[in-house]
Amino acid sequence: MRRLQEDFQEIVREQLEFRELLLQMTARDLRLRYKQTIMGFGWAVFTPILNTLVFSVLFMRVAPVHTEVPYPLFAYCGLLIWNFTASSLRFAITSLTSNANLVTKVYFPREIFPLAAVTVSLVDFAIASAVLAGLMIYYQVGVSSALLFLPAVLLVHVAFTTSLALVLAMANLFYRDVKYLFEVILTVWMFASAVVYPVEAVSGTLGQLIRVNPMTAIVEAYRRVILYGAPPEPLSFASVAAFSLIVLPAAWLLFHRSEFRFAESI
Amino acid sequence: MSGARVVFDHVWKQFTRGERHDSLRDLVPSMMKRLTRRGRLESPDAFWAVEDVSFEVREGEALGIIGRNGAGKSTILKLLTRILRPTRGSRRLEGRTGALIEIAAGFHPDLTGRENVFLQGAIMGMRRREIAARFDEIVSFAGLERFVDTPVKRYSSGMNARLGFSIAAHFSPDVLIIDEVLAVGDRAFQEKCQERMRRFRSEGVAIVFVSHHLAAVAQLCSQVLLLESGVALKIGTPTEVIAAYCHRPGTERYEHVTVAATLRSSRHIGEVFDVEPGERLKLDVSLDFRVPVERAKIGVVVRDQTRDLYVYGASSDLVGVPPIRAAAGETKHFVFAFDANLTRGLYGIEVNVVDPDRHQFLAVARGIQQFNVVEQVTYDGIANLYLTGSPAGVRAEPVALAR
Repeated sequence: MRRLQEDFQEIVREQLEFRELLLQMTARDLRLRYKQTIMGFGWAVFTPILNTLVFSVLFMRVAPVHTEVPYPLFAYCGLLIWNFTASSLRFAITSLTSNANLVTKVYFPREIFPLAAVTVSLVDFAIASAVLAGLMIYYQVGVSSALLFLPAVLLVHVAFTTSLALVLAMANLFYRDVKYLFEVILTVWMFASAVVYPVEAVSGTLGQLIRVNPMTAIVEAYRRVILYGAPPEPLSFASVAAFSLIVLPAAWLLFHRSEFRFAESI
Repeated sequence: MSGARVVFDHVWKQFTRGERHDSLRDLVPSMMKRLTRRGRLESPDAFWAVEDVSFEVREGEALGIIGRNGAGKSTILKLLTRILRPTRGSRRLEGRTGALIEIAAGFHPDLTGRENVFLQGAIMGMRRREIAARFDEIVSFAGLERFVDTPVKRYSSGMNARLGFSIAAHFSPDVLIIDEVLAVGDRAFQEKCQERMRRFRSEGVAIVFVSHHLAAVAQLCSQVLLLESGVALKIGTPTEVIAAYCHRPGTERYEHVTVAATLRSSRHIGEVFDVEPGERLKLDVSLDFRVPVERAKIGVVVRDQTRDLYVYGASSDLVGVPPIRAAAGETKHFVFAFDANLTRGLYGIEVNVVDPDRHQFLAVARGIQQFNVVEQVTYDGIANLYLTGSPAGVRAEPVALAR
């Protein structure tokens, strides 16, 4: 218990000491993306918009589903949320291995790498959210006081994503094929997460499984708060919140305790 | 111990050599293998890269670490900078630590010089404000004013290194760890670096300096650690440790002749000894021939050990020693003498035996004897040219400065 406390103190102290580095790393990654691609931040909105178009054709024409708000709005909202998690993790998973030079040469808390990956995606998330606001105005969907729950939902979402980012970055450092495996899982996971269809549309055991998935609870909570003007569904949101807030310190601790082996294993 | 900024306390570091499993695909079979041959705790591939090394560096002191490639110098640096954790023992650093290891490690090729200064500064633990305040100084020290907004990928390697060093030079650490930074840049820049490092030391920074550049080590450091295969062979003053480093079996090569040599002066005979500039030294050489020779000659070479400079070389045939003729198994003795017209420093004598008929060295005995020139007055350079002087127009005998 003492050691646990000391480790957490060390984590906090190091993060404070290197707080500016996280910003610099995030700035570096944002600048690089902006420099290397013509569209720059356009990418942030491009992917969810394109996906929204594809799924709109699929779920409005081919196999129509019933949604409480117009389907494009419904889908864009889900994809936006999903995109934050997916791109954070995609980026985080190679964040240590692609910075091998820094990992083996200079010391600073290694958490910075996956954290910067999450922060960069958070910037994209914010940019893409502007399009969501535009769509809401277009479809004349208003907000209610339930929007006050948004910070809590966002917090849980970021905590959940960060814990996975830490674990995956570390796992890929020790086992280089984790990223390939994860790509496959990511695709399956999206369809198992009520991102592009309402969870009510699936019944039975499959529906149960989809509801257990933390991403379903997160996406649903966002939709209720933003689009439906209702507070998150208490039971499912409370469980995912509790889950994320336990998993995050655990993942961070695991990362911190393995950190000293990174330079030897990379 | 009080006042020590860096403490390295009986540190051991073990590595595992050979196959490592870095993919999930390999993990399963390797786990199966481990299950089937249990009970072996220590892997046969494990080796100690650092064994029981201890040292301390106080405020304003500089420790040099020397040794051949693979001696464990870099491992020690990584242990110091917290990149690696010791297997046994402990290390402690007090205050802000700056590391000049791969000084441009944090640079990203696509970012401009300006952007990289801020990034690298943050990696070293500097605050944004601090970097902004010193930005102009950093750039002008590196001499890159015209290129700050050029992506670093367009820089030459020298420019890269200069910018990297410059960032580090404007950091104000309590402990500074330096790895072979002098290997980069042109001469003027190298001198600037050395000068900056001396200033760091006079400002009270504790320095750990790893280098193959013995002269720089001798100049900067107050103590030197000699590493060999992870073991601290010797720790002490620069002169004695550099002497031990340069005088090791392994730098000597005897093939057809065994060489023995003893150095003497009017005052002493010994391993490394202190000599006044200009003192006459005698060298007794004996050669055991394992092969017959017709007309061999002996070469005597003096090298500046710390700067690794070839100072002087001459051979027996030039000084009137007749060609050496010897049968296998025969032993011959020679006496040479020379004046140590040198400035302060550590010098090594090489004795070699050449057979002009075979066009080869029969023996090369590097650093077979060493001597240390001690001066009352400090001169710069290598040779002591015995400068004299007097005010012009005054009729007086010129006064010799050092003899």
